[in-house]
Amino acid sequence: MKILVCLKQVPHQDARLDVRSDGGWIQEDNIKFEINSYDTYALEEALRVKDATQAEVVVVSIGPERVTQALRTALGMGADRAIHVKDAAADGSDPLGVAKILAAVAKAESPDLIFTGFMSDDGNFATVPPMLAELMGIPHATAAVHIEHKDGALTVSREIEGGAQEVVELTAPCLVAVQTGLNQVRYASLKGIMAAKKKPLDVKSVSDLGLTGQVGAGAAKIKVEKIAPPKKGAGAEMLTGSTDQIASAIVGKIKELGLL
Amino acid sequence: MGTILVVAEIQGAKIREASYELASIAQKLAAAGGHQVKSLVAGKGAAALAEDFAKKGGGDVYLAEHDLLANYCVETASRAIRAAVDACSADIVLLSNTPSGWDVAPRIAAALDVGFVSDCFKIDLEGGKLVFHRRVFNGKLDALITTSSPRLVATVQPGATTPFAGTTSGKVTPLSVEFPAGARARFVAVKVAESKGVDLSKAAIIVSGGRGVGAPEKFPEVIQPLADALGGAMGASRPVVDAGWLPHHYQVGSSGQVVQPKLYIAAGISGAIQHLVGMKTSNFIIAINKDPDAPIFEIANLGVVGDLFEVVPALTKAVLAAKG
Repeated sequence: MKILVCLKQVPHQDARLDVRSDGGWIQEDNIKFEINSYDTYALEEALRVKDATQAEVVVVSIGPERVTQALRTALGMGADRAIHVKDAAADGSDPLGVAKILAAVAKAESPDLIFTGFMSDDGNFATVPPMLAELMGIPHATAAVHIEHKDGALTVSREIEGGAQEVVELTAPCLVAVQTGLNQVRYASLKGIMAAKKKPLDVKSVSDLGLTGQVGAGAAKIKVEKIAPPKKGAGAEMLTGSTDQIASAIVGKIKELGLL
Repeated sequence: MGTILVVAEIQGAKIREASYELASIAQKLAAAGGHQVKSLVAGKGAAALAEDFAKKGGGDVYLAEHDLLANYCVETASRAIRAAVDACSADIVLLSNTPSGWDVAPRIAAALDVGFVSDCFKIDLEGGKLVFHRRVFNGKLDALITTSSPRLVATVQPGATTPFAGTTSGKVTPLSVEFPAGARARFVAVKVAESKGVDLSKAAIIVSGGRGVGAPEKFPEVIQPLADALGGAMGASRPVVDAGWLPHHYQVGSSGQVVQPKLYIAAGISGAIQHLVGMKTSNFIIAINKDPDAPIFEIANLGVVGDLFEVVPALTKAVLAAKG
């Protein structure tokens, strides 16, 4: 059994979000990056299958040199191999472009299962996983909160509205895009990190994947023109002063509300 | 010119409110751009719903009826939508960003090799060009998106606009959909939420902690004492539950409990959309966060930019002192 896990490296959740001078995205220089939170759960889920069945876990990520760090972390956690699509020609790809790149990698690997995060913490599009499944011609499920394996099929519980779950059965090969919280993500051990240094990390270009001209900014069908902080409404009345002054102002308000 | 296809959604034997919101967006775009609006109603025993939707914004409705469409399943839903898109050569396909919509819509766009924008809260036609507005970075920033694709698929956030209120005249046409043998995705069941633990929806005061609380032991040490002092209940945001710091029944938000207390205090919660949806209708909201740009301050009545580990214990002390 082979599981392909798609990882995205995103700005750290506590990183400063300054808008770039052209307005098109955030300033990404000199900020910390991390593996997209949803994707860490996807990786953990794959590693649990590996622990139980000796499956091979292959991780793939697209992006500049910094992405090596995310892939090394994944290898340190227990993934067997990494594929890094590192090519300026992939820059500016829209979600469909990203899905095409991942589909080219997946077709070469022909995994039994593909695990991804449900969405990314930066773009929040939640678009690439179903697109990848469509391009692969395989079934998928999004927002998975529980996965059971049984004879070449997965029973997946999807989180739907009102705390309810929708249970679907997928025949492998298939793709599951996981919600956060479906497992407890392990940390890379020191031994794991040392072992990761010897694990294969293949670098591929867009032309290696036969996608020249089909991905990247030039081929993107949608474009983020501008990002900006949301329009401010009236907003909150902000309290300032010493901690004690603030506390007594809040108590005054709670009294006013008749709750104290 | 061209055709806008609205993919309606049935929930609990009714067309969802969100589908009428899509109709409202479609009719507005159509009025500005000269499109015609058509819709798809897919389900089982949905003829009356289709007739109704045709009059309430849906326009000409394709009715796809089949046992396999009684419940959402990615393969069958995808087949039905593709059939409707082909039947009217739709240029713009609109779905709601619901668990079904977000699951199937990207597949339709990938299959058609067209542009796709998810979870929009506004779609405008500016100088003949479509402009999509959506949030990024978990609600911290707004993005304005354009497309170079002549055809596209988009999903719209439920509640982003008001439902279509006018009347339309449209006819209902049966749509035949082929389902190949050998399904590789099968609907099994919907499991409703088990009710256990605290019913936060009944609490008059809720004090919730988020990722900013930093560690599981800080909830009983810092958050719970304030909730106790106020005679209220403790809640939490999703990252806290995901990290296993508190069980799921503490979670406030779209995937947890939706609450409307008299007072909601949010400590160390930045205010991701999924949390705001669960508490924004609270009567009075107080937010304590170290980040002055946290979206929670946009919906709070009272805000404190500061360290919750200083402010919350001081507040607990002040509340206890006030009670005497």
